[in-house]
Amino acid sequence: MATFQGALEANPGWKLGDPVEDLDFPPPLTAFYSEYPERLEWDYKTFTETIPNNQKDAAIYGPYYTLANAYSYGFQYHGANLPGQQAPPEESDFTIRGNPIPPAVPFKSAALASEFVKEIAHRFGATLVGITRAYEDFFYADSWRGCPPEYDHSNLPEHWKYAVVIGVPMEWDTVLGSPQTSTSYEAYDRVSTAAVRLEGAIKTLGYAARASSPMTNYDLIVPPFSIEAGLGEVCRAGYMIAPETGSNLRTAVVITNLELEIDKPIKFGVEEFCNKCKICAEQCPSGAISFADSPAEQEWGTGSVLRGWEHWYINNGACYNFWRESMGPMGCRLCVAVCPYSRKDNWVHDIAKFADPRDPTGVFASGLLWMQKNFFDYPDAVEYHRPDLGGHFAGFRTEPTFLHAERYLDIDIVSPHEN
Amino acid sequence: MFWDGNIFWFLMGLIFVVVSFAFKAFAEDRGWTLNWWKSLLAALWYWILMLSFYAWGTLAGENEASAGLKFFLFGLVVSIILGVGLWRLLAAKPKDA
Repeated sequence: MATFQGALEANPGWKLGDPVEDLDFPPPLTAFYSEYPERLEWDYKTFTETIPNNQKDAAIYGPYYTLANAYSYGFQYHGANLPGQQAPPEESDFTIRGNPIPPAVPFKSAALASEFVKEIAHRFGATLVGITRAYEDFFYADSWRGCPPEYDHSNLPEHWKYAVVIGVPMEWDTVLGSPQTSTSYEAYDRVSTAAVRLEGAIKTLGYAARASSPMTNYDLIVPPFSIEAGLGEVCRAGYMIAPETGSNLRTAVVITNLELEIDKPIKFGVEEFCNKCKICAEQCPSGAISFADSPAEQEWGTGSVLRGWEHWYINNGACYNFWRESMGPMGCRLCVAVCPYSRKDNWVHDIAKFADPRDPTGVFASGLLWMQKNFFDYPDAVEYHRPDLGGHFAGFRTEPTFLHAERYLDIDIVSPHEN
Repeated sequence: MFWDGNIFWFLMGLIFVVVSFAFKAFAEDRGWTLNWWKSLLAALWYWILMLSFYAWGTLAGENEASAGLKFFLFGLVVSIILGVGLWRLLAAKPKDA
């Protein structure tokens, strides 16, 4: 069994503390749980406690989230129909709908090729676009899509040269309803659609292309590509903050052999701000985000340096456990919603974003942080939990009116906020 | 929409012009001598006050009305403190007068 849930169902008598080898896992998964026993504990809790409790909660409060789920499913339904990768890179990257790609149309220069690719990426729906090299460090060690088990993953295919990274934010008003009524699929679907369109356009010009996106799955880890492509900086919550959209950005990557001019990574003060801010850690109901003063001081995980790249690490087991506790569309996104950078691109926040990185003393950042923590309302982290844990399924902010099931639906609805 | 439209900002500009002339007349009535840097300081003071007000509206438009109000009140307090200093500066007579 390749999943914890499947292994538990196949061996229902298994209890935490029993040998992990008794579960029918593939050897790499057994090795993983042996190396990280805390992940075994979290996953065991998720599937034996949290999900059954969530099903009980859904029986009571589920109707309250009917419209949020329907809205989310619209995106999910469309995204699920996007074409994925069904064959190894040497085959799928060079074919369109089963036919070989045409001979390559030469560009006058890599710079012009980049200009064109960015232009059409925006027109295909991308909000942000950046280009970098296809760094081997950021690819999965195995299990690339469409590859049989015997496929040799020891080297990247020769045609994996450049990575076009695109990003789309979730809607600003819905994401504020996190962790309950927001949905990642808003942006998953849109960014995946843009990536698939870009893959098709590049192939039509006679170059290999392979989209990795939320709805078509991945061969790689996206955030480091985004950072190297100059879209933003790594943040405390483990992903990336962009100057334009903050941490509200869902990303996809199109790998290609089209010669492109690459972008440079950017710095605009996120590292220093994240070291001070910690709002995401304070708000995270699962405690998955570290309070450490720097990545090097984190208390859990695989360490702050992976394959030579420093990063923040979150407790994925705790994070996923809360995903399965929260109501509404799957997931949480609270760290996105509460991040001070995740604000609309208007003059108030633009002044802050302009001045902060230009102040070498850090005084301005401290002032901004003081205002952020004292002017903006933050629920207590326990309020996000289910009622039995002392919460009421709070959202960071009230969901937008169009998701109010009580307003639109003629059904019995129990609000978790009124108990 | 009125609040985020061109007419709003046209009116704000109009009000700024009216306030500027009114302030000039007010200063002359009080016998204050306005030079370029005193006028600039007065304009800056007005700018800070108005920015606080505009920030309130902008944040309210982001569904953060509570934060906007706090920001405005904070700006108001800062404006009052700076306003007292500005008043004393403008009202000060030259030493040889």
